[in-house]
Amino acid sequence: MSASLTRRLILPAMVLGTTLLSGLALFSGGGASAEPGTTAEPLVISSKVATAQSQVRAIAPPAAYQTGRENSGSANSSVQVYKNGSLVSYGNKHITYVAPPKDLIPLGEALYMQNCASCHGTKANGVAADNTPGGYPNLRGLGPATIDFWIESGRMPAADPREVQAGRKTPKLSTEQAHAIAAWVNSLSPATPYIPIVHSPGTADTSDGFSLFALNCAACHTITGGGDALAKNTYAPSLRNIPSTQVAEAIRTGPGNMPRFTGNLSDEQVRNIVGYVTGNIQHPVNPGGFGLGGLGPVAEGFIGLALGVGILALIGFWIGDRT
Amino acid sequence: MSDAPQEERTPVSLATATSDDPHMQPLARDPERTERLIAIAMFFGILGIIGFGVAYWFNADAWVYGFTMGIGVLLLGFGITAWGKYLMPKGPFVEERHELRGTDEERESLAAAVVQRGGGILGRRKLLGGVAGLGLAAFGIVAAFPLVRSLGPLPKKTLTKTDWRRGSYLVDSTGRPVHVDDLAVGGIVTVFPKGYQDTESGQAVDQTVLIRLTTENFTTRPGRETWGPAGYVAYSKLCSHLGCPVGLYEQQLQSLVCPCHQSMFDVTNGCVPTFGPAPRPLPQLPIYVDGRGYVRAQSDYKEPVGPGYWERS
Repeated sequence: MSASLTRRLILPAMVLGTTLLSGLALFSGGGASAEPGTTAEPLVISSKVATAQSQVRAIAPPAAYQTGRENSGSANSSVQVYKNGSLVSYGNKHITYVAPPKDLIPLGEALYMQNCASCHGTKANGVAADNTPGGYPNLRGLGPATIDFWIESGRMPAADPREVQAGRKTPKLSTEQAHAIAAWVNSLSPATPYIPIVHSPGTADTSDGFSLFALNCAACHTITGGGDALAKNTYAPSLRNIPSTQVAEAIRTGPGNMPRFTGNLSDEQVRNIVGYVTGNIQHPVNPGGFGLGGLGPVAEGFIGLALGVGILALIGFWIGDRT
Repeated sequence: MSDAPQEERTPVSLATATSDDPHMQPLARDPERTERLIAIAMFFGILGIIGFGVAYWFNADAWVYGFTMGIGVLLLGFGITAWGKYLMPKGPFVEERHELRGTDEERESLAAAVVQRGGGILGRRKLLGGVAGLGLAAFGIVAAFPLVRSLGPLPKKTLTKTDWRRGSYLVDSTGRPVHVDDLAVGGIVTVFPKGYQDTESGQAVDQTVLIRLTTENFTTRPGRETWGPAGYVAYSKLCSHLGCPVGLYEQQLQSLVCPCHQSMFDVTNGCVPTFGPAPRPLPQLPIYVDGRGYVRAQSDYKEPVGPGYWERS
């Protein structure tokens, strides 16, 4: 290959290479590119967030976690099961909310002290070991679904407690261990919602689920569920590969910056949303063959244009090169 | 592909080149082998086209269509291009261009023909000229109609008024009225005035976000002491920048974020913009809780909702 030809191929090769790399990132991530990593100045940012959280706590005590509407995640549901005088499960034909078994409480206490107490405090009230209150969330009165969601989605124990937003990762604790910790924390200050079991979300009304998803969820998570960046280094995570229980837990408890959907969504509506997310969102039909992460027309247009222009440039150089 | 030592060749005229001229020889060093390679490529291209036909016949997936057709067109195109590139006379050839500008005589006679004879011929038919002019004028006037007719209905009062009235129930998209016990702290719901959740104006200007900040009465600005009963606050969902639905509520940051241009509004402080291009706060809807616990509107918005317009910057 002559020197002049090499020189001429540099530009199109760079275009093509960059495009292929970004395309690979899109394919492999499946929306992961919308989840920024730890920022360069975690300390500065985390102090802002801590301020925001303590303000929120001032006006939003955990006790106000309930709804008065029936069949919307709180105990006032069609079916309530008591055992030895305590509510062990409640719900209806759409969702059953189950309390973690009480015999797991001793195990849960031990696991909590190992994995959680250094930040959330030995009393689970957000007062850390060094007695500085306000820096970490108070876990009391949140209900088992909240505790279970944060542990089972791998967000807790946090990789770096200073990061702006704990990211989803491979869970460190098993489902049973998560339930154990939820059981112990809930025994300190019993509350609902319990852990939701969504009944056969595969048969839910996904048409209604889509409407509700578009109205309530798509603004942040995007209409394809790929997630997107939000304000102040926060982001809405991708909804791919999230089991039905965690989808329902997130809707009912509002983890992090997500709003808490309680009385404005009935259990039937939540089941329809869960059915839509675990069905259509997580198993998208891509008639063109490639979904490109479902990141929207800008990303798709960029890939199409850059890839197409790169290849066309290579072909153009080949055709035009006569000597 | 062009590993051959490159000899300098001066361009010759194609018309005068003889068949034994070096310019007429193909670029390929081994034309027979190149021909075979090109033929093989085109053969696979034909297979691709046939494969497309088969796939189409059997109603295959869309990506199979694209793959087979792409292979076919790509390889056939490669063959044709390579044929021209490696097996046609390698040149280079030149073809001299003749002078583009006409002579002065030609230009003068043409001008005379158009202006004098043409003008005279047109001037003979004054009636037709007038009618044609009238037609053009009518066409021009009619062509301006879309400016008036096709820009959509006039906004009428929706610029300054919505369908919210004193006593309007706040209902969700299914028409269910919101009760004071419904939302937990940190909850949000998009609401409409009862009866307008399915109407055009309801979808356009009435849409409102209802957020529960706390369980106590909440005052967002001085003078709005009664607007936030039981911690509920209601804001117009239309961004004051360009009217996008401001649906991103971040409950820890207590911010409403507009998805279009990332304007942020402070929910606890009357939704004044804290970031982004939005020029004004989101209007707050005064609400109250009635005797049976339903959340209702005290009145319409006190200021126009949505983006600015000609009388409001």
